[in-house]
Amino acid sequence: MKFLGLVLKSAKRSKRRTLLTVMSVAIAVFLFAALRAVLDGFNAGAEAASSTRVVTIRSTSLMFQMPISHLETIKNIPGVQDVTYASWFGGIYKDPKNFFGQFAVDPEGYLRMYPEIQLTPDERKAFLDDRTGCIIGDGLARIYGFKVGDKITLQVGIPLYGQRDYDFTVRAIYRSGGAAVDNQSMMFHWKYADERSMLKGQIGWYVTQIANPDQAPQIMRAIDEKFANSPYETKTDTERAFQTSFVSMFGNLSLLLGSIALAVVITTLFVAANTMAMSVRERTTEIAVMRTLGFPSATIFLLVAGEGLLMATVGGILGIAAARTIVNPRFLNAGGFIPEIGVNNTNVLVALALSVGIGLLAGLIPATMASRLKIVDALRRVA
Amino acid sequence: MALIELRDVTKAYKRDAIEIPVLDRVSITVPEGDFLGLMGPSGSGKSTLLNLLAGIDRPSRGAIRIGDTDISTLSERALAAWRARHIGFIFQLYNLIPVLTAFENVELPLLLTNLSKKQRRDHVLTALGIVGLGDREKHYPRQLSGGQEQRVAIARAIVTDPTLLLADEPTGDLDAKSASEVLTLLQRLNDEYKKTIVMVTHDPHAAERAKRVLHLEKGTLVEAQQVG
Repeated sequence: MKFLGLVLKSAKRSKRRTLLTVMSVAIAVFLFAALRAVLDGFNAGAEAASSTRVVTIRSTSLMFQMPISHLETIKNIPGVQDVTYASWFGGIYKDPKNFFGQFAVDPEGYLRMYPEIQLTPDERKAFLDDRTGCIIGDGLARIYGFKVGDKITLQVGIPLYGQRDYDFTVRAIYRSGGAAVDNQSMMFHWKYADERSMLKGQIGWYVTQIANPDQAPQIMRAIDEKFANSPYETKTDTERAFQTSFVSMFGNLSLLLGSIALAVVITTLFVAANTMAMSVRERTTEIAVMRTLGFPSATIFLLVAGEGLLMATVGGILGIAAARTIVNPRFLNAGGFIPEIGVNNTNVLVALALSVGIGLLAGLIPATMASRLKIVDALRRVA
Repeated sequence: MALIELRDVTKAYKRDAIEIPVLDRVSITVPEGDFLGLMGPSGSGKSTLLNLLAGIDRPSRGAIRIGDTDISTLSERALAAWRARHIGFIFQLYNLIPVLTAFENVELPLLLTNLSKKQRRDHVLTALGIVGLGDREKHYPRQLSGGQEQRVAIARAIVTDPTLLLADEPTGDLDAKSASEVLTLLQRLNDEYKKTIVMVTHDPHAAERAKRVLHLEKGTLVEAQQVG
């Protein structure tokens, strides 16, 4: 502890340089933690997906719809317990930049299928009884300040749904009971959208509850076979595969974000190491003097390495604090594609370990340089 | 009783394939309580000799015994510990750490000891008191004059109560008045506190303050002179 003051004094020697080094580590750690949080968010939905739910979309693309008549066909397939459906609405709330997921759903069936959508019996009834009612995730409600009873108007985003604005009444604010359902979406009666739709009876995707997860491959095959060679061929997958395909619409995010994070961290490592090496070179005489006073090489090594560690750790803590503050649903709206994102405790620990690692690695070469300094040569350089 | 004994000490530096001799079979005996001046022209090997005595350089041949220890045989780690305990070094350019106050600079060697914070404080204040800078403990080097900086450096050198004080041109960067004050202080440390001092200088006035002066030329001792 008695050397800590020495480390602090050394770090304060060039305040601007120390600040810039700390900030570079802070930014790297911030990006790392933020990117990990986004990746975790994307993966959380897939990981929490139910093994007894399968999703059917048009074989061509999720973008295309299929008829409501598929519902009865799917219901009659052996092993199917329940079926519901939903469509992507894509409306505009005041301004296109206010993007969030809006789903036209079969209200009763959807709430039955997704017990993760948590509502009280009264809230549930209020939603089911109102054809223009909607339910809002509590995360979305926080962002826009929606309350029960509020009137919401959505402009049409997809021409299929007509030209007139849609008016809704918020009937409940739902909580998400699992990562398979995000809390930043809006759900409303499919019939309300269908009434004004230019193509009646069109569905985005069906969700099928199966009794036995072991039968999933057979049932999925059976569903798709039912609609084979029809104008509306289907592609059925597990909920996990569906979530993953949703994510894959953004490309290989994991590789992309991981590469960015790695590049940033390595660059910061070099910057910090170079800065520390410069600092040690400037202090050659001082280090030689300390060695003359009897400071062992090992102590000099620890003092220099400790300085790197201190700067990187402080930077890391700042970066983590910034990531915790900024990367949360209050600031980032994922639009219903992924559950609430945030820097969890595991990511905090990983980011902290990363900053400590940057500090140790960045300090390694300068600390070795300092500890191996030949006293006489260093003193002669100045004399 | 001899505190320092150099026996046939030779030092040569290698520059590429060429060996450059700096000291050639130098033998010196310095009794405890002596104040020895080492004089000689530039390149005569006097600073090299001082570095060898301080244990920050090693002889090519020969033995250096200080007290009971043959320092030419010590490992780097043992030598560092020995320096911390037995050597107080005063540099020509003071070499104080600019980001540390006078107090913290003097405290630096004590960080290597097991003394408590309070004991360290007592030692530092005593050392600063001896050099007459008890009221400058919170000043940074840039806030001190050259003479004051050198006195802080002397306080740093004596704070551990070392066996041997080594001074390399301690007045080389000072004006006449400050140089005189520093030399008076060194004399006091020798007379009152019985410190053994070896001082390298090229200034005859400074050398006059030593009890004994040795002259080096081209790496060999040429004559000895008793002063006072």
